[in-house]
Amino acid sequence: MKKAAAFLFQLAFLSALYYGSEFLVSWLHIPIPASVTGMVILLFLLSKGWVPVQMIESGAAFLNKHLAFFFIPIAAGLITYGDLIRSDGAALMAVIAGSSVIGLLITSGLSSALAKRSREKA
Amino acid sequence: MTIIYITVTIAIYQLARWAALRFPSPFTTPVFTSTVVIISLLAASGVSYKEYTPAKEIMTFLLGPATAALALPLYHNRAVLRERFFPAAASLIVGTFATIVSAVWMASAFGLSRTIQATAAVKAVTTPVAMEAAVIIGGDPALAAAFVITAGIFGAVFGPPLLTMFNINDPFSRGLGIGTISHGIGTSQAVQEGPVQGTVSSAAMGVSAIITSLVLPWLFPFL
Repeated sequence: MKKAAAFLFQLAFLSALYYGSEFLVSWLHIPIPASVTGMVILLFLLSKGWVPVQMIESGAAFLNKHLAFFFIPIAAGLITYGDLIRSDGAALMAVIAGSSVIGLLITSGLSSALAKRSREKA
Repeated sequence: MTIIYITVTIAIYQLARWAALRFPSPFTTPVFTSTVVIISLLAASGVSYKEYTPAKEIMTFLLGPATAALALPLYHNRAVLRERFFPAAASLIVGTFATIVSAVWMASAFGLSRTIQATAAVKAVTTPVAMEAAVIIGGDPALAAAFVITAGIFGAVFGPPLLTMFNINDPFSRGLGIGTISHGIGTSQAVQEGPVQGTVSSAAMGVSAIITSLVLPWLFPFL
């Protein structure tokens, strides 16, 4: 019971942090999304020790584990693009897939090559 | 009805997680299988997305908090991030440019409109940034959200096997690429692969979103 209450408190704290960031971002016209701003603020609070890790740990770990869930209802919204998918779907898919593969292999490939080089030097 | 939609969505997600454990494959990635099943159910039952929207609003209430909570793995793995900061930043910047430029050029090669080209340019970053950035360069914000989701699911499903195929096994580099090209959806998959992948992917999705929103308004007119 106590554990459940602590868990709910952690979810409430993380929600307050995020919705506070959302307010801050729109109020100050910061061109960074609220979720990234909230992530940076929370990282800062944890690093300074102003928020102890135990205060958010089980709630944050639960949300991270199920992060994919929250995208599912949004992704279902693709259903509203049926007409566009029927007319230009193949070309659009090729553009998205092709540019994603190029970006992925360049980013990861470069990072892995740089890491290998610095290991050989050391 | 909203309660039924929520219950069904959660049940499908749980089944999808079970299926991913039982039959591990890129095609059983839960965000992909669940989305396909829900779209099929909506289409078959004649329930419109508009009717499903109140359920969506409730279920996504914790999306923002869950994304901010990625600060936890960042905090736990801050040493590895600090240690490899400069090579990681360089790779991320080059990769972000590559994915933007190739998206715009491919869209133009397929003869797609300038609006679609602008929308394709933002597809790699998290939805709120993509929607704002799309408007600034003449794209369509609703379509941007659709492209972002497609890119995210593509990255989550095909990112890890592609990296393995190209022999990129360093967990840090894997997370970096996945976060850079497929934001939160890719990150949700990277978290499952391992703590280093999850951490680096969360950091990369944040940084690539910031870089894209700063650079795109200047870069896009030249493409």
